[in-house]
Amino acid sequence: MSDLPKNYISEPGLNGEGVEQPAEPLVLIEMIQRLKVRDVMTSKLVTVVRASPLREVQSLMKAKRISGVPVEEGGRFLGLVTINDILRALEGGYIDETCQKHMSTKLVVLEDDMPLSFALRYFENYHYGRFPVINREQKLVGIICQRDINRALLLELANELNRLESEWVLSKATAQPYNLYVLREFPVSKYDFENAGKAANKIKQILQEKKFPPKVIRRIAVAAYELEINLCVHSDGGSLSWQISNGRAEIIATDSGPGIVDLEWACKDGNSTANEWIRSFGFGAGMGLVNVKRVADEFEIESTVNVGTRVKAVIYIDEKQKDES
Amino acid sequence: MKLRDLVRLAGLEVLALPDGEVEVRHGYTSDLLSDVMGHCPEDSILITVQNHKNTVAVSTLAGAHAILVVHNRPIPDEMLTLANREKVALLRTNLDQFTISCRIGALLGLEARG
Amino acid sequence: MTVLEAARRLNAEVIVEGDAVTHPIRHVVASDLMSDVLLVDDEDILLLTSLASDQVLRTAHIIGAVGVIVVNGKSLPTSMVQVARDLGITLIKSDKTKYGACIAIHEALERV
Repeated sequence: MSDLPKNYISEPGLNGEGVEQPAEPLVLIEMIQRLKVRDVMTSKLVTVVRASPLREVQSLMKAKRISGVPVEEGGRFLGLVTINDILRALEGGYIDETCQKHMSTKLVVLEDDMPLSFALRYFENYHYGRFPVINREQKLVGIICQRDINRALLLELANELNRLESEWVLSKATAQPYNLYVLREFPVSKYDFENAGKAANKIKQILQEKKFPPKVIRRIAVAAYELEINLCVHSDGGSLSWQISNGRAEIIATDSGPGIVDLEWACKDGNSTANEWIRSFGFGAGMGLVNVKRVADEFEIESTVNVGTRVKAVIYIDEKQKDES
Repeated sequence: MKLRDLVRLAGLEVLALPDGEVEVRHGYTSDLLSDVMGHCPEDSILITVQNHKNTVAVSTLAGAHAILVVHNRPIPDEMLTLANREKVALLRTNLDQFTISCRIGALLGLEARG
Repeated sequence: MTVLEAARRLNAEVIVEGDAVTHPIRHVVASDLMSDVLLVDDEDILLLTSLASDQVLRTAHIIGAVGVIVVNGKSLPTSMVQVARDLGITLIKSDKTKYGACIAIHEALERV
């Protein structure tokens, strides 16, 4: 649902002290959560069939410089022949026998939509050099080895460093205090009217301390407040996160259900599924999302019934952002 | 004051006016329906932001002759239908609650109840 | 007119004195719907509401209100007093209706 880093600073008690957090330690954690096994694995597979002799596997390994060859027939993944199997075969003198007899069939596999952090844990726990990767239909779709991971992480780190560097240069160039990298997340519980709104108040206080322009503070706070109330009133619980970097404030509300049946209807002024009980708290007039849209420079909403909803509002702190978009 | 005169003098938009001759004596400003139910006086005009069919139902119970929706909020069809059926006037203004309450207060010349 | 003067005009009880008691009120908002309150773009606002909840103060803080007047003589939850103190917002309780309070404040503002 969310492309947000999951492991960044979270603030359940709302009483954290530091505001700015260096981005570096988060980057790696975020990366191994965001990257999926399928982004890293080798999908150009070299496979053999059960009847293939081990000698054929040996020459494949040599030619392709690989250390494991899956045995596959008609999309069905049947086993794996590793370089250790080949060494044993050479030693035992059965290198001309078929894969069927000697391949490893008790296998630990990874699924292609698992986060990379999973794969790292597997490598640590099982001490295998590679894992076959299957998809949801149990079809073999790739193979992943440590080398694939190293390559992918180096590439991603380089991209991320470039991004951070350009952001840093930009913030130095404009010399604005609000180009700091700020990232926070607040949990919001269903019907918790006692605490709903606290995050928005906190955001406003922080931005006031940072001497942001008052009109911008108001818009950020309004978007945060409405999204926070929406989580409290309509969702089964979720979180409100906000990020300020590069002259933009991003406020994101994500929840784990129940989802919105008709997005267009829900975004229209006056439409609400709230009951009288919620209305008695002064909410549920069907103005919330309209208000968020009104104050935001960018607005996105996506929702899946029984899965959840994600709303993103972006407010430009820098007027320059407006010209660019 | 006759509702018809109040509508004209306060410059209100008419969406439904089943009986313009009815006498309006009080104003009541609220967005909480339970509060309207408990406190809205009879023969009044209800000033509210609640553009909802339940507002009509509560007005009939409280004995308000008219509902005045502020901020030019859109009126759902079902609210208009119910207002016509229940013989409650449905009016609208682009002004906010405070401003229109003050204007109507001045027109009704009240000891402004409460 | 300041919030404390407004309280005096309404014969209302000042529960919490906030940070901006000397600020002149520049705009008055009457509403019980928080999203409706958030539509306002002005500063130094006095909020009149018949809702007695923490959310009223949280919303008031978002729009930078100097004070909140809860009408209809509603009893205020103790948490509300605490939130008003935390956020530095003047909290006033009036026995008038919201309609009546609007008119009285308006008259007072005219006279100033």
